[in-house]
Amino acid sequence: MTTDQDLPMDHQSATALFAAKGIDVTTNKDQGVIKVIKRAGVDGDRPMIGDKVMVHYTGKLVTGKKFDCSRERKEPFCFHVGKGQVLRAWDIAVLSMQRGEVCTLLCKPEYAYGAAGNPDKIPPSSSVVFELELIKFEGEVLTGDGGIVRRIKVKGEGYTNPNDGSIVNVHLEGRCGDRLFDCRDVSFIVSQAEDKSIPLGVDRAMDKMQKGECCLLYLKPKYGFGSEGKPEYKIGPDKDIVYEITLKDFQRAKDSWEMDLKEKLDLSAEVKSKGNQYFKAGRYYQAVIQYQRIISWLEIEYGTGDMQQKKIQDYILTSHLNLALCFLRLKEFTQAVDNCNKVIELDENNEKALYRRGEARLRRNEFSLALADFQQVLQVNSANRAARAQISICQSKIKEHHEKDKKTYANMFQKFAERDAKTGKTKRRRDDSARTSFNGEVSIKQRRRSQECPS
Amino acid sequence: MMNEDQVKEIIQRWRNTQEDDLKPEDYQQFKTLGSASLSEGESQQLLKFIQDEKNQVIVKSMGCVILAPLLNEVVKKAKGLDQYQAAITHLTRTCRPNELLDCMLEIIEGIDPGAISETILALLPHLQSVLLRLDEGKAACVGSTLSALQKQLSRLPVPYTEQQEEADEYGLCRCSAALTVFTEPFVEEVKRADGSCAATAEDEELKIELLKFCMRSLREPLLEAELKHDRRSPLWLFAVEIMVTLSAIKEPLPELLFFSSLRKNILMDNNQFTEARACLAYLLFVQLITIDNFPAVFSHVFILQCNMEYISQLLSSKKESHLLKGLALFTKSLERVQDNSLPVSLLDLKSFYSVTQNLRRVLTDCPIQHLRESGLQVFQVFINKLDAEAKHKFFRCMLKTSNHAGIESYIIKNIRNQFELSMKWGNANEWFLGTEFISLMTLVLCLPQGAQTDLLSSMDKVMESLNLLRYVLIRDEELRTNEDVWEELCRIKEEYLKMLRVCISISRAYYSSELKALREDQKLKAKEARDAARPTKLVKSITVRKEKVSNMSPEVQHQVLQSALVTFDLMESLIVRIEEITEEKRNKLN
Repeated sequence: MTTDQDLPMDHQSATALFAAKGIDVTTNKDQGVIKVIKRAGVDGDRPMIGDKVMVHYTGKLVTGKKFDCSRERKEPFCFHVGKGQVLRAWDIAVLSMQRGEVCTLLCKPEYAYGAAGNPDKIPPSSSVVFELELIKFEGEVLTGDGGIVRRIKVKGEGYTNPNDGSIVNVHLEGRCGDRLFDCRDVSFIVSQAEDKSIPLGVDRAMDKMQKGECCLLYLKPKYGFGSEGKPEYKIGPDKDIVYEITLKDFQRAKDSWEMDLKEKLDLSAEVKSKGNQYFKAGRYYQAVIQYQRIISWLEIEYGTGDMQQKKIQDYILTSHLNLALCFLRLKEFTQAVDNCNKVIELDENNEKALYRRGEARLRRNEFSLALADFQQVLQVNSANRAARAQISICQSKIKEHHEKDKKTYANMFQKFAERDAKTGKTKRRRDDSARTSFNGEVSIKQRRRSQECPS
Repeated sequence: MMNEDQVKEIIQRWRNTQEDDLKPEDYQQFKTLGSASLSEGESQQLLKFIQDEKNQVIVKSMGCVILAPLLNEVVKKAKGLDQYQAAITHLTRTCRPNELLDCMLEIIEGIDPGAISETILALLPHLQSVLLRLDEGKAACVGSTLSALQKQLSRLPVPYTEQQEEADEYGLCRCSAALTVFTEPFVEEVKRADGSCAATAEDEELKIELLKFCMRSLREPLLEAELKHDRRSPLWLFAVEIMVTLSAIKEPLPELLFFSSLRKNILMDNNQFTEARACLAYLLFVQLITIDNFPAVFSHVFILQCNMEYISQLLSSKKESHLLKGLALFTKSLERVQDNSLPVSLLDLKSFYSVTQNLRRVLTDCPIQHLRESGLQVFQVFINKLDAEAKHKFFRCMLKTSNHAGIESYIIKNIRNQFELSMKWGNANEWFLGTEFISLMTLVLCLPQGAQTDLLSSMDKVMESLNLLRYVLIRDEELRTNEDVWEELCRIKEEYLKMLRVCISISRAYYSSELKALREDQKLKAKEARDAARPTKLVKSITVRKEKVSNMSPEVQHQVLQSALVTFDLMESLIVRIEEITEEKRNKLN
C-alpha cells in the first residue's frame, strides 16, 4: 500500500486534492485535518478513547520528503488514542478510523508540529501528510494484572481526577453477561465504594476518570465480586462483570501537602477505623487502601514535640502492622514482609511485626529466616505460645527440606550428567511437598486466625 | 616429582583408558602436570602435548582443568604468550563446551580483584567461541555469562574526567569495547531470526538476555559516566553501541520508555529498572543517540510527562553524574513545550511533585555550585511553561513546602512578574488578579512563627514580600475594581505590617545587644592579649545563640550583626514607603 504516485508536490495542489476527495475530521471543521480513505476497514469497528491502538504510518512533508516511517523500523507503532500522547491530528484521525482502514491525512501545522516544527526534520509551520493503517486496537489496561480494562465512550473535561477521599457523583450500570444487575445514580467516597455495594474495580478506576467521562469497565473477579459473588445482585462466584460509569461530578480531597499536621492526624483516626472495619468484614484490598493513605500522609511528617512525634509514629507503626496482616490474608507474602520490615526498622523488638514476618517467611518457604523471627518473638515475650508452635513447624520443615536435599544430591556424579533434566523435576517435587504440608497445617492456621485482628 | 618415564607411563595409561573410567585422581594429576610444566616455562611442550593427535581423547575429557592456569599465564603476560593462547584456543575447540563454560564462569567468579579487566579481556574471545559452539540452552548461558561479567566489571571505578577516561587505568573502557565485540554475533543471530519470521522460543530468550545486558549497561557504567557529544570517548561509543543493539534486537524504545509499567519482568528491581531507563531517556533525548529512529509523532507534553519519572529518579540522587543528567533531561524535555501551556492537572501527577521537590533540594542543599546554577535556570523554565492556573498552584505549593527563604523570595519575585503581566491588556486572569490572587498573597504576607520569626534567616522572603506589596499598591486600579478583593488585601497587609513591626523591634533589640556583647568581648580579649605575659585563664566562649554565627571569627560576626541591623532599617523604610503610598492613594481618592 503506497501513495507515492499520487502524492502532490506542493502545498496548494495538496490542499486542493485533499479538499476534493477528502473529509474534514476536525470537530470545529476548520480543515485542520483532512482524511482521504484509501481502503475501507471493518464497518462500525472503531477504537474508543484510551484504547491501545497499533498502526503503521509514513509521515511526509508536502514536498514528498519522508521524515518518519514505522515500516522502515519494521515494527508497528502503539499508543493510547485520544489522550494527548501524539500529535493532535492523530488523536482526531485515528478515532475516526475503522479496524483495517488505510487513509491519508493532510494536517495543518496547528494540528501537527506547530510553528516550531521539528529540528532537522520538519521546517517551521509546515503542513504534513501521513499515511496511516489501523492494524488493531484494544481497551486500556488500568492495572498491572490486567484485572481492570477501560474503554471510554465520552471523554471528560479538564485533566483533574478524583483522588482517594474525593466525593464522586456517578451514574452506574452493572452487567454480568447481558443481564443488567445494577442501575442507579449514586454518590460515594473514593476508596470507600464498598459501602455502597460498588466493587473494588470501579473504585480503583475513579482516579483515572475526569468529570463528564463515560466509560466501560471490564472487571475480573478480583476487582468485581470475587470468589464469594454477590447474592444481592444474583452474581455467582468468579464472574467477569462490566460496568458503565458516568462521572457526573466530584469534589477532590485535599492533597497531602495541602493539609496541616492536625488535619492529617484527625483524618488518620477516621481512616484507620474505616480500615479496621473493612478488615473485619474480610475486605482486605479495601482495608489496604485505607492504611496506605495514612502512611502516605504521615511518612514524611516530623512532629514538633515528643507527644506529637509519638502519635505520628504510632499511626505509622499500626498502619504497617495492619498492612502486613492484610497482605498475609491476601497471600501477598513479599509485601507482608516489606511492611513488617518497616515496623522493625522503627522498633526492632515489635512482637507482632516479628511474628507476622515469621508467618510470611514460613509461607514463602524461607524456613530458617522464619525460625529466627519466631525465636526473636520468644526473646521479646517468652509467654507467646503461638510462636512456640510455629518454631516446631519451622524445625520439622527444615528437617524435611534437608532430607529432600540429601536425596537430590546423592549420587552427585550420576546426576551431574543429566543435570538439566533433573533440576526441573526436583524443583517441582519440592513445591508439591510444600503444598501438601500447608494443607496439613490449615487447622492450626485457622485457630490462630480468629485471634488476630487489626490494632 | 615424577621423572619423565613416569609421566610417559601415566599418559600412556590415560590413552588406553576409556573416558568414563577416568577418576577424579586422574583429573587432579592432569592438572598438576599441566601446572608444573607451565611453572617451568615449558609452554612449547605443553602445546605439543595438547595438540598431539593421539592425546585428543584425553584433552577432550580433561583439558578443562588446565584452562585456569593457562589463562593465568596470559594475564601475567608471561613469556610464550602465543603458545598459551594457542593452547587455550585448542582447548576451546576440543573440550565439551558445557564444561568449558562452567570452568570459565568459575574463573570469572573467582577473579583476582587486582586483575579484573586483564582477566576479562583475555577471556572474552575464548568465551565467545565456546558459547558459539553451544547448541541448546545457549540463550541462558549467554545470559548468565553476561551477568557474571558485568557483576565483576561493576566493581571497577567509572572514569569521570576526560583524562581518566583516556588513561583508562582500570580498563573499564577497554572491557566495554570488548563486550560489544563479544555480543556482536549473538545480536546478529537475533536479527537473523527476526528476519526469517521463524523465531523460536530460544531466539526470544536470547533477545531477552541481550535486553537485560543493555539495561544493566545503561545503569552501570553509563549512568555514572560523563558523556559529551563532541567527544567520542570510549564510553560514548559504548553508549552508542548499546542503543544500536536495542534497536537491532527490535526492542521498541517507546515501549521501553513510555509504556513499560505493564512490562515483562527483566529481573531488575524497580529502582534499577527506572535508573536504566532514565539513562536511556538521557541518551536518546539529550545526546540524541538514535533519535532518528525514534517515532516523531509523540506530543511534547506527553514526552515530558513520561520523562518526569526519570528526571525525578535522577534528581533524587546525590551523585554529580546523575544530577547532571537529570537537569539536562529536564531542560531538554521542557524545551519543546510551549510557554504557558502546561495545565494544572499535571501538577497532580506524583512525578511532577517529586521532580519539583527534588529540584528544590538541589537548589538549597547541593554543594556543587554549577548544579545549583543550572538547577535554578531549569526551575525558571519550568515555571514559564506552566499556564496561569498551574503557576498559581505551583507557587502556593512551593511557598507551603519549601521552608527556605531563598526559594520563597524567588517565587515571590515570580508572582510579581505574573501580576505585572496580567495587568497588560488581554492578559487579565483571575489567578493573578482577583479573588484567587488573595489566596496567594495570604501565603506571601505571612510570618509563620509570628513575632518569633527569625528575620535574619527569612530576610530574603520579607524583603521580596515588601517589594511585591509596594508594587501591588502602586498599581492598584485593577484590584480595586473588586471591592471584596481589595478589602481583603488591605486587611492582610495591615495585619502583616503590624506583625512585622513588632518582629523588627524585637529582633533589633536582640541584635543590638548581641553587637554590644561582642564589642565588650573584643575589648576583654584585647586586654587579655595585652596581659599575655601572665598565664591566662580561658576566655568564656562567646554566647551568640545561633551556631552559624558562633562559628565565625569575631570580625565576621561583627559584620553580620551590623548588616542585620541595616537590613532591619531597610525593612522599616520599605514599610514606611508602603504606608506613604497607601496614604497618597487615599488622599487622591477622597
